[in-house]
Amino acid sequence: MVQASSVEIRKLDKFYGPFQALKGIDLTIPPGKVTCLIGPSGSGKSTLLRCMNFLEEYDAGEVRIDGQMIGYDSPGGSRMPARKLRDMRRSIGMVFQQFNLWPHMTALQNVAEGLVRVRGFSKDQAAARAAEALEKVGLSDKVANHPARLSGGQQQRVAIARAIAMEPRLMLFDEPTSALDPELVGEVLNVMKTLAAEGMTMVVVTHEMGFAAHVADQVAIMEAGELVAVDAPTRILHSPEDARIKAFLKTYHERNAF
Amino acid sequence: MDVSVLQQYAPMLLRGFGITIFCWLFGTVLGIVLGLIIALIQRYSPKPVRWLLQVYIEVIRGTPFLVQLFVLYYGGPLIGLRLDALPAGLLGLTIYGSPYFAEIFRSAFRAVPEGQIEAARAIGMTEATIIQRILLPLGLVSALPALVNFSIILTKETVILSIITVPELMYQVQRMSTETFRYVEANLVLALFFWALVEAISRVGRKLETRITKHLIERT
Repeated sequence: MVQASSVEIRKLDKFYGPFQALKGIDLTIPPGKVTCLIGPSGSGKSTLLRCMNFLEEYDAGEVRIDGQMIGYDSPGGSRMPARKLRDMRRSIGMVFQQFNLWPHMTALQNVAEGLVRVRGFSKDQAAARAAEALEKVGLSDKVANHPARLSGGQQQRVAIARAIAMEPRLMLFDEPTSALDPELVGEVLNVMKTLAAEGMTMVVVTHEMGFAAHVADQVAIMEAGELVAVDAPTRILHSPEDARIKAFLKTYHERNAF
Repeated sequence: MDVSVLQQYAPMLLRGFGITIFCWLFGTVLGIVLGLIIALIQRYSPKPVRWLLQVYIEVIRGTPFLVQLFVLYYGGPLIGLRLDALPAGLLGLTIYGSPYFAEIFRSAFRAVPEGQIEAARAIGMTEATIIQRILLPLGLVSALPALVNFSIILTKETVILSIITVPELMYQVQRMSTETFRYVEANLVLALFFWALVEAISRVGRKLETRITKHLIERT
């Protein structure tokens, strides 16, 4: 079992100029569980996710990882020292919609880079650990490939390997399958399911309702910067009470009906 | 055409060409270094500093090299900066090229996808490591064609150093012209030498480009 973090989010506000992207979000991410954030585009789910490793600066409220506030010294206080923030980020893995692999490095180098530069591994140690991580995502035969020579699904699996090689206690996934061709979605979701089964705390922004329904322990639905509902997937997806959830699920079902 | 005159002046012309190449190489390399430093400072510093550097860039880009060289060489002593012709020329070339190189790097850095920088930040890399491992290697790739292009332009700016008596190729050609009245031959030599230099630079540039983009091009 991996060590798993919890996240507590309290009264979180985020503004882009006059536009309020997050409106007083309260959400608890329990350790070792999978939380899916779903909702229409522009509803603030990616912004919320990016506040959890402070890639997005929030304006008010708190985001706490295992009780430790990220980004600021105290609620409403000054920015935390860069060094402290880096230390916190080391144990938070992130996977992006656009993979964001470094194109000038091979798959192995992409995974080993953080180990050498951030964790202080020797080159050999890092290469061995990176090879393990790539094996775990089923890419042992692609270690020497540059991203340009990998499919989207393979690139995303390298990106997952890059994150898990750092031994994170929390994994953030920002629409990890949205940029993939439909036939490549499955391989990425399978890797994510394996991680979930190992007891990793995962927060996943996704449009994959199937994944949310089958893998998530809780589903949070967002709309227009607000958290509409947080509950077990069966209750939310199968017998929604809130009108906004019904409307969202209706458009989703219509889009996917054939 | 009088080949015997050319033979007579060949050693001088070749020496001049050597100095031309030296001046170009020196000015280009230091100009690139200075431009890179300016671009990095601009990327990471607060507004007043950025603004000051932008003023430097606009002033140097907005005035002719000839004028800058005059100011440096003849105006320098007024503020205690007394330089011989060659050092003044080298410094002048460096300063003249730096804002162009800075702008090339600035736009090249902006072409590095923000997500790749964020991915580095997300695993806890320091900004210094991000610059060294991600921003510079990727920025250089997109900067290279423009860097080569501007360094080719700089080859031809070296002729202006002749007016402050740097004994480079143009200087020698002018000397040969006034001594022999063989203007056509002398300038033809000048043209041929520059053409050869530019051709060599662009070949090296293309080789470099192929090499550093080898892994970045998608092959399916």
